[in-house]
Amino acid sequence: MEFRGYPRADGSVGIRNYVLVIPGGLVASKICEFVPGTKTVMSTKEGVGFTSRDRETIARTLFGLGLNPNVYSVIVQGGSPKAGYPELRTERLAQEIAKSGKRVEVVDAVKEGGTLEAIQKGIKIARELVFEASKVRRQPFSLGKLSLGVKCGHSDPTSGMVGNPVVGYLFDRVVEAGGIAMFGETTEIIGAEHILAKRAVNRQVGQEILARVNCIEKRALSTGEDIRTMNPVPDNIAAGISTIEEKSLGAIYKAGHLPIEGVLDFAERPKKSGLYFVDSWMGIPSIFPGFAASGAQLNLFQHGGGAGAPNNHILDPSPAVVSPMLWTSANPITYAQTKGSLDFYSGTVIEGKETLEQAGERLVNLVLEIASGTLTRGETINYSEPIEIYTIDPIF
Amino acid sequence: MAKKRALMLSPKDNVASVMEEVLSGDDVVAQGGIETLLLRAVDKIPFGFKVATVDIRQGDPVIKYGEVIGRASNNIQKGTLVHIHNIEGARGRGDLQKNR
Repeated sequence: MEFRGYPRADGSVGIRNYVLVIPGGLVASKICEFVPGTKTVMSTKEGVGFTSRDRETIARTLFGLGLNPNVYSVIVQGGSPKAGYPELRTERLAQEIAKSGKRVEVVDAVKEGGTLEAIQKGIKIARELVFEASKVRRQPFSLGKLSLGVKCGHSDPTSGMVGNPVVGYLFDRVVEAGGIAMFGETTEIIGAEHILAKRAVNRQVGQEILARVNCIEKRALSTGEDIRTMNPVPDNIAAGISTIEEKSLGAIYKAGHLPIEGVLDFAERPKKSGLYFVDSWMGIPSIFPGFAASGAQLNLFQHGGGAGAPNNHILDPSPAVVSPMLWTSANPITYAQTKGSLDFYSGTVIEGKETLEQAGERLVNLVLEIASGTLTRGETINYSEPIEIYTIDPIF
Repeated sequence: MAKKRALMLSPKDNVASVMEEVLSGDDVVAQGGIETLLLRAVDKIPFGFKVATVDIRQGDPVIKYGEVIGRASNNIQKGTLVHIHNIEGARGRGDLQKNR
């Protein structure tokens, strides 16, 4: 069970080979427009008026994406080192990424004499970096070098029945091989948290899972609204999911069967291999960049789709910024509707043509192929959207 | 007419998910329980939706995946479509909070 990936100085393995320019904005966008093989990350959350906890989350997302194994090297662009919040200073972001042994270049608009000059300098450096990146060759590595993130969405009854369990099979295989697997969506384990807490490696982790759910549920209660008017979303209800408990109990199957090693904050990097729960919000532009900042080289979207509405997100390759998106579905109607865009279909299990394990094995093989360089369907589209960093506190 | 297929995800369940669209009056075979059950559908049940495999009384738990997914808000007759019109969730119910 091997794939061919790009070796990195910190021992991690890239499945793609990008040069990342952070933070996003005018300078980064113009550099990326000019130089192929580059990526940037657009976020409206720049940290202005945010609490220190949320500023740290923003910083962790930015340097976490820089640390992602799919990134060969990084350009950090910014202004004067004397201005700005300490967490988000250009030098700090650059230092955090440089700890991995990656080449990090700083483009300082003050030093360069202006924004246009910074763009010019950035383009020159980016050209050099993508040229250098192209010289790295793929080598064979074990499945255990992979880190994956998953979210289920537009969930319907096929999600909990087959789609999520098939992803769970993949997660078990990757974790058994010594890899990392992450799932999240705290609202969507309400009603299933007791099962996950029992699967924690120890009591402390179990208590932490329960505490995170309690925190979110209290927030839901404080709104005075029936959570069913928010989540399950109308799409889930139209497809046959009746309560948040039902949605959650189907959702947790994507986490497989192995013990849960720990609970991570958004964009936090796991310290060792294993299965992790990430305290996060379900939104596509939020959870996926979070997984990528936690180190996921590949992200899965397990798509239900039973409500029948076309999901444009399947055509957006960008949510995880530097990590490809692999879309799966177990719904035959969704499969017919998304042909040419869906990466993997497990409805064969519902149709009685394959067992869950056979479909799972097929997914493991597809993941190894994509990790070796085969494009996901989304990667054949040139499009990107801004990300939504999961911050918690009020803004001022 | 051929019987329609439904799946109970745990032997503890009192609902089954239909594997193809079921019309009112159709015979449904529900597998995955302690024993295979034969039901007569009393509603139209779209693909993937839930059908009651036993009579469920108002206030009783509705069980899928072997776990409680909500409580019956009416008496639910065996063979009936089970969805938001006859069950409610118990979690995250801000609307039921007294002292906001």
